[in-house]
Order: sequence, then structure tokens, then C-alpha cells
Amino acid sequence: MAVAAQHSALAEHIHPEPQGFIRRYVFSIDHKIIGIQYMVTGLIFFVIAGMLAELIRTQLMNSNAKFLTPDQYNGVYSMHGTAMVWMVTIPIVTGGFGNIIMPLMIGARDVAFPWLNMASFWLFPPAGILLFASFLVGAPEAGWTEYPPVSLQGPPGTTLWCLAIILIGISSTMTGLNFMVTIIKMRAPGMTYTRMPLFVWAQLATAAINMLATVALSAALSALFIERVFGVPFYDPNKGGSPILWQHMFWFYSHPAVYIFILPAFGIISEVLPTFARKPIYGYKMIAFSSVAIALLGFMVWAHHMFTSGMAPWLQLPFMILTMLIAIPTGVKIWSWMATLWGGVIHYSTAMLFAMGFLITFTMGGLTGIMLGAVPADLHEHGTYFVVAHFHYVVFGGTFMGVLAGIYYWWPKVTNRLLNETIGHWQFWLTMIFGNLTFFPMHILGLEGMPRRVAVYVPEYTDLNRLISFSSYGLSIAFLLMFINMAWSFKYGKKAGPNPWGARTLEWMISSPPPYYNFKRIPAILSGPYDFGSPLPYIGLDSELERTQSHTTIPAGAH
Amino acid sequence: MAVAAGALHHEHGGGHQEPSDALYEEIRSHRLLGFTLFLISDCILFSAFIFAYLYLRNTIDHWPPPGIAGPDLLFGALNSIVLFGSGATMHFALDNWKHGNTKVFYRWLGLTLFLGTWFLLGQGYEYSLLYYEQHATWAGSIFGASFFTLTGLHGFHVFVGLVYLSILGWQTKQGIYTQKRFFGLTAGTLYWHFVDVIWVFLFFLFYIF
Amino acid sequence: MQMFQATIEQSLTLFFGIIVFVTALVQTTNEWNKHELEDNVTKVLLILMAVGCIEAIGATLGFLGHGGG
Repeated sequence: MAVAAQHSALAEHIHPEPQGFIRRYVFSIDHKIIGIQYMVTGLIFFVIAGMLAELIRTQLMNSNAKFLTPDQYNGVYSMHGTAMVWMVTIPIVTGGFGNIIMPLMIGARDVAFPWLNMASFWLFPPAGILLFASFLVGAPEAGWTEYPPVSLQGPPGTTLWCLAIILIGISSTMTGLNFMVTIIKMRAPGMTYTRMPLFVWAQLATAAINMLATVALSAALSALFIERVFGVPFYDPNKGGSPILWQHMFWFYSHPAVYIFILPAFGIISEVLPTFARKPIYGYKMIAFSSVAIALLGFMVWAHHMFTSGMAPWLQLPFMILTMLIAIPTGVKIWSWMATLWGGVIHYSTAMLFAMGFLITFTMGGLTGIMLGAVPADLHEHGTYFVVAHFHYVVFGGTFMGVLAGIYYWWPKVTNRLLNETIGHWQFWLTMIFGNLTFFPMHILGLEGMPRRVAVYVPEYTDLNRLISFSSYGLSIAFLLMFINMAWSFKYGKKAGPNPWGARTLEWMISSPPPYYNFKRIPAILSGPYDFGSPLPYIGLDSELERTQSHTTIPAGAH
Repeated sequence: MAVAAGALHHEHGGGHQEPSDALYEEIRSHRLLGFTLFLISDCILFSAFIFAYLYLRNTIDHWPPPGIAGPDLLFGALNSIVLFGSGATMHFALDNWKHGNTKVFYRWLGLTLFLGTWFLLGQGYEYSLLYYEQHATWAGSIFGASFFTLTGLHGFHVFVGLVYLSILGWQTKQGIYTQKRFFGLTAGTLYWHFVDVIWVFLFFLFYIF
Repeated sequence: MQMFQATIEQSLTLFFGIIVFVTALVQTTNEWNKHELEDNVTKVLLILMAVGCIEAIGATLGFLGHGGG
């Protein structure tokens, strides 16, 4: 097959290395540094938001605890959700993983607009600080969804909440735009769309959602802001506004947002499974196109969050059907991943364990999503712990398991150190056990009628709540293990070299960590990256590495 | 964007080496795609507020709400032609630049800025009529909420456009653009057309519909 | 005075509206065979601008909208 030999002048163009600590590590325009900045900041907010979760669980240890006042409790769960959505998950999967890995995988030297990339990142810490500053003036108390009229009446922190999320939304939109242009325009010669790694397909679909949906959120938030500050009537029914309008505008963004969470994680799984099963990914085209289908369909189902809102009843049926339809491309992926494992030689590295655990927990979350998508069931389950169980299974059991797999997979590329596999395995099992013990009982609580967002509950729910709370403490310890492992790897971790896993995508063809210019020479691409057993499909890589990469077996010592 | 476009024409901070044709073309195509995507995302911003307007409008039987007659149709129509005319003048400005007629470019650009400013002043007049004669305020009704927010957002975009075009004019005076390399001017013209087209929809939604 | 102002507005809108409308369409046809991204975007925007002129002319003549004033 002839190689499309597009000559890229930009690929020949290597700018001089930046000098000085500030230009190299603070205001860097290097996608790898920016990506690490996103990861570190995101993980810091993860710890904070996780501690808020533990405050929730401690309050819920007893049916009528006085650990937090009701107002404090409302603020805590509102901020837990808000921070997890916007200051943790989205930055990590797009700004973090997307920035570090995607340009390497397509054979580019950086993203399309490096300065915009830096600006996107530097909106993130101020937005987070602004968000948490709301605790000082009265945290928002209507949940991360901030429905009016409560959000109209809420404490001053709600106004700060609006501004903070608008800021991070601008950051997200710019990143989405940046990634779209990068993937569309800057792939290495010969890398047609159907030769792109699936992680890149995932990032492309995610970037499209990011760029288009987030703006709708900014509109909803701006309207809330001007209503709170200037009294402009959008949502207050006493002035002619409509609370349901908020729900439409909010969920039009926030439903696609959950596909922003999960698609990059799907992409990570699609990379990890073939590498550690030593097998080509099954159904490459189906997985690629299903990412696009999920992104498209994701824009059409928002009102499934509104079945009980009082919106026009005729809307329930079409939204229910469209919601069920999303199960199809999602199911295609799950079956393809399982078929990838089938007949493979499985190497149980920590990354692989998390990927396989993902298959179980994400599927469970997806199934409860279908249950909730059925209107008659949702009428009963809406606003209960059943919903809390569902979204924690997909976000924690889905996205976070994917993130953990990605961290264990790409840590050696970024740091040139291997993480400790024993600690990793402990982390995996503790995460699976305590994660399921934390979130599974929530299904039961929800079906038994326990509402969400309550600081106190009837005594009948106590036993399950205690089980959940204790398990959540165990889950925190599991996460602690990851940070211990990271510290361990810096001190004791074996040097990883360019390709400890014997993987085949381009990021593994260069040194760990990569030089600032990524590739000495941009290679030409002959085929897709998943043909384990065939020679590497790259021409023109740095020749020394090329020689060492010709056998893509997993070196001894790495799992 | 204007600054970035200017930077494109002075790559390599060290020596004032111009990028090669191939490099310029490649970076230009990235920026064009990025700018187009930005305009699409800006469409979504307006669409969201338009949705809010239509939703709120649908909650009452009569629009505008009782007590408000709405904006002046004839004045609005004339003001619209002023804005659309500025789109035509900007088109001519860019056209003349492409053909090397620098002085003519400045004249058309100046006319564009004049007409754009006229439009904004016209909007201000429209607002004052609504406020003084009809007591319609931003916070007073869902009419105010939708009309002033949407046309205000549009007016803000027009204002930014005027600043942007002015900067482009200044950059042209500095010699930043050549007959072959003038991406900033293209982007500015596209932005200005975009602002025009948003008004096509807003005029329909508030004055005609 | 009101009638006089209305007549001025209508005349100006009609006169310049036709000019801008024709200009937009002529420029669109001039660019018709260019197919770069910016050319296609320009063509779409010019056509929509022409639609806008129709709106304004229709409004000022009373065909569109709920009448003058």
C-alpha cells in the first residue's frame, strides 16, 4: 500500500528549547508539561473532593448524626460533585491524558495551538480556587446541578460557583478546539483516520463534545449569574421564568459531559487491552465509529434527567428510546474488548487489572443506566440512591478505573520509572473490593427509597449506610496506595526505558520521557498499531530505537 | 487572534526570519480551521440563549408581554441594512487587499468601522426607546431578559469586532500583512460576516417573528 | 413627524437594502468556483447576509413582521 508522503513543513520545524525554570515548567507551551500540570492539579482536587466525600460518609454513618449541620452537608455534597466533575475528571482525562499522550500517538511535535494550550491550563487553578472560595462565603447548596429556585436563593457561594465553572468551561472549550485541529491536521504522514490509535479516536470524539457542549453550559451559567446578581428573569417562576428552562440548558451540556468523562477512558482501555493480551484489538473500526456514534447520540438524550421534572410528558418517550440506543455502540465496545481478550496471552500487569476491572464495573454502571432510562422505573428511582449508585459505577467504576489503568500504563513513559507491581496489585484489589462495597449497596438503598442529598435518614437504612461508609474509608486507603507507589517509583523504581510493555503505538518508539521535540524525525505510518506479531508499521524513526523496537515482546522484569 | 496572526508573520524570535511558504501555508490552515471551529462554538452560545428566549416566549400567550410594544420594526430594519452594508464593505476591503490596492483597502475598512459604529449607536437608540417610552428593563420582564441579553451579547460581539478590525488596520499600517500573507485580515472578515449573520437570526427572532 | 421619519427609514432601507442584497449575491457568484475552507464559509455567510436583506426589506415594506412602528 502506497504511503501518503505528505511533506509537513511544520514537522521539520523544531523550535529551540525553552530556557529557565519559569518557561520550562511553569508557563510551558510543551504539551507534555502542560499535561502533567493538569494531572497534578487534577489529582490535588481529587484528594480534596475525596475528603469532602468522606465528610459525607461520616455524616451518614448514623441516621441522625450531628457531624455536619444540614447547610454544611448541602455545601459539602454540592462541592464534592462540582469539583469531581469539573476540577478532577474532565481536566484529567482531556487536559491530562489527552495532552501528554495524544500528540505523541499521532506523531506530532505538539498540539496545534501551544500558547492556547497553556492559557487553557492556567484558567484551571484559578477556577478551582474560586470554586473552593465559595466555602468562605457560604457554599452552594443545591447539588452540582444547582436547580433553581434553590440556586436562585442560595448563599453567595453560588455566584462564585457560576463564575468558577464558566472559567473552567472556557478552558475546556479551548482545549476541545485545540485537540480537534491537532488530530485533524497534524497526524504523521500515512496515518489515515483508520490507522489512528483508538485513544486518538476517543480524544477526537471527546474534543468535539467538549468544544460544542460546554458553550451551552456557559450560557446557562451566565443566565443564572445575571439573574442572581441583576435580577434578570430566566428561571424564577415568580417573574415569568422557568426552572425547567435551567434543567434543559444545564442537561444539554451535562449529559454530553458524561461522555467527555467516559470516552477517553474507553480510549485508554482500547490501548491497554491489546498490549497486555498481545493481540490485535478486535473490531477496530466498530470501536472507532462507536465513539463517534456515542458522541452524536449523547447530544440527543439530555431530558432523560428530567422525566420527573414536569416537562411536557410527550418528551419522555423519544428521550427514553434514544437513551436505550446509546447502549448499542457502548455494547459494541464491550463485546469487542472481551473478544480482544479471548485467546490472548494475558499479562496481569496492574494496568491490565484495572482495565479488566473496568469491564466489570463499567458494564454494571451502564446496565443501571439503561434501567434508569426506562421511564416507569425512573419515576421510582429518580432522586434516590439508585442514581447515586449508577453514576458512581460509571464515573468511578468506569472513568476512574480507566484513569488508573492509564496511570499505571503511561507512568513509565512520563517518568522513566516503573511503578511497583505488588503495591499496584494491592491497590487494584482493594479498589475493586472497597469500591464495590461502597457503591453497590447504594442500589439497594435507592430501591428501598432512600433519597439522595439527605443529611439524615430513617433508621432502617442505617446498616447499609454504615457498610458504605466504612468501605469508603477502605477505598481512600486504596487511593493512598497509589500515591505511595508514585513516591516509591521515584526512589526505587526500575528505569523503564522506551517501551517496557512492548506496545506498538508511537509514544513507545521514543525515549522515556520524550525529548521536548518528541521525535527526531517524524515517521511515516504504514498501517494501524495493533498488529501484534507483525513488524512495526513505521518508517523513518530514530534508527537506534527502531532497531530495539523491532521485537515487540514484553521485556523481562516488566510484568 | 490578531496578535497571533501578527506573530505568524514574525516567527523565530531571534532573527526576523519569515517562515517558508510551506510552513506558512501549513500553520495558516491550522489557524483557519481553529478559527472556523471557534465561530461554530460561538454559534452554539447564541443558540443556547435563543433556545432560552423561545422557551420563555412559549410560556405566555401574547408576545411581547402586556405593556411592551417591542422594538421599532422600521428603525431596526434600517439599522440591519447598516450592519449588512458593513459586511459588504469589509468584503470589498479584503478583495482590494488581495489585488494590491492598499489605499482602497483602507477606505473600505474605514467605511466598515463607520457603519459598524453607526449600528451600535442605533442599538443604543433602540434601547433608549424601549426604556424611556415602554419602561422595558433588562430585569423587568422575560422580554427584557431575552431581548437585552441576546442583542446585548450580539452588540458586545460587534464591539469586539470593531476593536479587532481597528487592530487589523493598525497592523496593516505596520506592514505586517503582504499581498500573499494576510491571514489576520481573512479571519477578521470572517468574524465580521459571522456577526452579521447572527444579526440576521436575531432580527428575525425579535422583530419579525 | 412620525410618518416622515418612517418614510425616511423605509426609503433608506429599501434603497441600500437592494444594493447590499445584489452586492452579496454578485460577490457570492464571483467566489463560486473557489473551494478553500474560507471561501466556502464566506459564500455561506454572504448568502445568509442576502437573506438578511430580504428580511429587512420585507419588514420595511410591511410584508414581514407585525407592521411598522
